[in-house]
Parts: sequence; C-alpha cells; structure tokens
Amino acid sequence: MNYWRKPWILALALLAFGAVRLPFEAGLSRDLRAAGLFPAPMEISTRERIDQTSSAVALGGLRTLVATFLNLRAYGFFTEKRWADVADTFETIVDLAPRTRYYWETGSWHLAYNASSYCMNDSKLPPLRRREAWRASILSGRAFLERGIRNNPDDWSLHANLGFLLSDSNKFPAFQDPDKTFAAAAEAYRRSAQTGKALDYVQRARFYSLARVAGRESEALALGRKLYAESGKNRTPTLLILLLVLEARENPSMDVAGRAVEWFKTPEKAYDALSGHWQRTRERFPVYGVAGAIESLENSLSVPKEKSILAKPLPPPPNPDDWFRK
Amino acid sequence: MNTASHTPLKGSHTGRILVIATHTFTQLARMKVFYFLAIFAVIAIASNFFDLPQHAGPEALGANVLRSIKSWSLGAMTLFSVVLSIVATALLLPKDVEDRTLYTILAKPVPRLDYLIGKLLGVLMLVFVSLALMDVLMTVVLQIRTSMVLEQQEAMATAMGWTQDAIASMRVETLANGPNGSLQGAVFAVFLRASIMASLALLISTFSSSTLFTTIVSFLIYFIGHFQADARDVYLHAGQAGEGGVARIASLLVSLVLPDFQLFNVIDAVIEGQALPLLMLGKLTLVGLYYAFFFTIASWFIFADKEF
Repeated sequence: MNYWRKPWILALALLAFGAVRLPFEAGLSRDLRAAGLFPAPMEISTRERIDQTSSAVALGGLRTLVATFLNLRAYGFFTEKRWADVADTFETIVDLAPRTRYYWETGSWHLAYNASSYCMNDSKLPPLRRREAWRASILSGRAFLERGIRNNPDDWSLHANLGFLLSDSNKFPAFQDPDKTFAAAAEAYRRSAQTGKALDYVQRARFYSLARVAGRESEALALGRKLYAESGKNRTPTLLILLLVLEARENPSMDVAGRAVEWFKTPEKAYDALSGHWQRTRERFPVYGVAGAIESLENSLSVPKEKSILAKPLPPPPNPDDWFRK
Repeated sequence: MNTASHTPLKGSHTGRILVIATHTFTQLARMKVFYFLAIFAVIAIASNFFDLPQHAGPEALGANVLRSIKSWSLGAMTLFSVVLSIVATALLLPKDVEDRTLYTILAKPVPRLDYLIGKLLGVLMLVFVSLALMDVLMTVVLQIRTSMVLEQQEAMATAMGWTQDAIASMRVETLANGPNGSLQGAVFAVFLRASIMASLALLISTFSSSTLFTTIVSFLIYFIGHFQADARDVYLHAGQAGEGGVARIASLLVSLVLPDFQLFNVIDAVIEGQALPLLMLGKLTLVGLYYAFFFTIASWFIFADKEF
C-alpha cells in the first residue's frame, strides 16, 4: 500500500500543477498568436507530404529548418523542370513557414513565370495544350501569391508582386478581362502603398495600371497629378507621357505637342518620348492625342514622311492566339 | 592556505549546490561534449552557401541566405541543446551510482535536494555555455554576412537610382534578418526549452531503471509536448466539433500532464524576421521556471527516501 502512496501523490501534484498552468499557457498562446509569433498548427496534409524524418523534425519545433531544406529541394526540382514537384514542395514550405515572404514570392515566381514560360515553349505538347498549361501556371502563381497576401496582409512586397504579375505584358493576356486585370493590379499596388512600407515606385506602378483601365481614366489622372505634385522623383518618362495622354483625353483641344516640349525641355526629347510611348503596344497604354502630337513634332523637326514613326509597323499587341499558333 | 575555507557560502545550501554543479559541469565537459562545436561551426559556415538565385529587386538580395543561417544555426542549437540536456541528465544518477560517487556524497550531510539541484545546475551550465558559444559563432557569421548583403544591396539600389529613403527602408528590413535582440531572445528560448527537458529528465531518472529508459521517455515527451497545445484546444473548445466525453478527458489529461513545448516555437517567428517582445520572453521565462521548479521538487519527492 505504502509503495503506491508516492506515485499517487506525484500524479495528483502533476494534475494540480497542470491545472494551475493551463489558463496561463492558453492565454500566452493567444497572446503569441495575436502578436504573429505563433505559427498555425501543422496541417495533416503537410505532415503527409513531408517524409517521416522531416515530419518528426518539424514537429520537434524546427519547422523553419525543414522549410529551408525543402526550399533547396524545390530548387533542385526547378533546375530539372519538374514543375508539379516545385508546386507541391512550395505548398509544403509555406505551410511550414507561412510568414516568410521569400517563399511566397519564390513559389509564385516559379509557377507564374518559370513554369509558364516553359509551357509556352514546350515543343512536345500541341499548341492548345501548351496554351492551357501556360494559362494554368499563371493562374496558379497568382492564386499562390494571393494566399500569401491573406497570410501576410501587411507585407508590402507581396501586394506589389501581385501588381507586377497582373500588369506584366507577358502575363495579363492569361486573364479573361484586361480591364479587370489592370484594376486588380492597381488595387494590389494601392494596398501595398497603404502598408506605409512600400518603396516609391509602387505608387507610380499603381498609376500606370490605373491609366489602362477603361472608364477609370479620370481617377488615374487625379492620381497622376497628385504624384507629380508630391515629389520631384515622380517625373519618369512613362509617368509624364501618361499624364499628358490622360489630360489630352480630358481636354481634346489641348496642345499635346506643346505640353510635351514644355515637360521634356526640347522638341527632340519630346518626340523621342512620344515615339517610344506610341510603340509600347504590348503594354496597352492609352494613346489619346499621341498620334497628333507626333505628327506636329515631325513637321516642326522636318522628319521625312517615310521616316515617320507613325509609318513604321507597330509591335503586335500581346495575343496568346499568335503565341500558340505553331 | 585554502581561500575557499573562508568562503561564506561554504557549508550553506548554495555553497553545496555550487560545488556539486561545478563538479557535474567538469565531469560532463571531460566527456568531450564540446567537440560538437566544431560540427556547429561547419553548419554555420555551410549555411552561407545556400544563396539561391534571386528573382526580385535589391530588397530581396541575400535576404534568404540570412534566414538560412539563422534557421540552420537555431535548428542545430535546438537539437544539440535538447539532446545534451536529456542525455547528460539521464546519465547523471546512473553514473554516480556506478562510480559509487553517490554513496560518498549522500553519506555526508548533503541534503538530497541540494544534490539534485546541483546536478541539474551542472547540466544547465553545460547547456548554457554550449549555447553561448554557438550563439557567438552564429552572431559573428550572421554579422559578417549581413554587412556583405547590405553592401551588395546598397550598391545595386544606388545603381538603380533608388532614393536615400528607399535605401534606408531596405536597410531596416535587412537588419531585421540580421543579428539583433530578438535573435538573442530566441537563443534564450532554446535554453529555456532545454532547461525544461533537463528537469523533466531528472524527474524520470529518479524512478527509472536505466539511462536508456530515461532518454527514450524524455524524447517521447519532448515530441508529444509539441501537441499539448492541440490537446488543450480540443479540451477548451470541446463540444463545438462534437467530441465525445472520452476525447475530452483524454485531451485534458494530456494538457495537464505534458509540458507545452509549442510555446517555444516563437523561435520560428524570429527566424522569419519577426521581433520578439521582451514581455513575451519574460512570460516564456516564467513558464520555464515554473516547470523547472515543479519537476525538481517532484524529483526530490521521489529521490528523498530512495534507497541505493
């Protein structure tokens, strides 16, 4: 009887000790989770995806270490062009380390850029299947990045990366409606800027996207004017030309050529800037008043008709029908 | 003349504990445990070479390699400290019995509690010194690499015409991944977790029949302890998902008996560049002390009238 006395007392003490600490630990867990210092519990699917050893290591409190190993493995898959494995591995990596921006951005980059480019040029597949695989990769990359944003809503870079993807001239044709896509890109840039940590170019990129949304030109013009007034850094050729073009849309009688010379200092520089903009068909930028201004400047600069930029063929706009013809 | 004879601590509890702790530390150090530091140095340096190609602007340049250094180093620290604390503690009592040192000590007027605390402190000193050395190595490697990354980033950003404000903002982000206070806090959290494991292994070794049993059970508890928070959640939110009474009682028992090691996974957040507030570290310290205190008293309770 005496033999069992101590174990019983110890067991009771253990339970009493546990009862005292339980509320404190539960509260501390809540505080740590609220402070973003506590990872979400590891999903069963994640445990199934990683092997037994890695699973044990991850469960032993070394999740980021396993994520680091898997990132190296994913790089190996990338070099071998095993895109399905790359996607699977990054799914696991972000489950293990959901707060690391790098993994979300790299996973999305592999899917939306590397895998999609590979699919585009994969000669083994017929055009229709190549096109579908290309589109599916870009959509997966976008979905991955959006999931990263849901996990890290305060991360300026993830929002900005979504903006880059949606406004990339090689990628936006994968989405159905260009206006909706550019509007989504502008929104992503807006959210990035809203974090207060974004770099200057994010606001300019927002303006470039908004300027391409049909029906929101006035909003874009107001934003462009605000950026122009805010800082001397916001004088990039793209920003100036877009501001000019949007003003020309508001005021069709405006002297676009005269304003361009005023902003670009000389007729030659103004002509170069307007010509460059005219040729940027892949980006789908608006061109209100540009042709007239070029013509006017060509006259004043005595550019022969046969050398006119307006006479040169324009680069074809991004069109998946052309990319996947053969 | 022996100056120690004039030490006011001599003969006191603290004095006895310190003597046993120092002896334990020396005993363990003689087992050449510090050789693993060479392996750690290799890991810390090797982690520098996992710099994969970048796809983004200067702000992403090198950020991954800094995280890699922290991840590998803190991972190695966790493994070494947990293994060291469990194995070293599991060895203590059986080795003292085998060497017959235990009989010599207990034959003297040394309270058994002093003996246990001294032994535990000796192991903790060893873990602390090991972690401190690894921390120094990691900090040096990380500091050097952070400086290199900053230099590269600034050169690239300047070449790309970034403004000073933008460069400063990028610098702040990079420094968050370099050696900082939160990283030292994470190392301390590693120490706290190892301390809990050492005190728990001490408790198990007081009634275990072999070193192997203590080691295996301690490791099992270590892994299961990472699920304790899940069990607690099941108990606290029982009924919402239709759990039965048995599941509720089982989850309560797991929550009450096992330590919650998930709390110490803040280390992962620090590796990911999050700041660890001092208040949170203070609360974690309280948790660590609470466990260490309880397990040590429980060990003494079992060990107090154990016959050898």
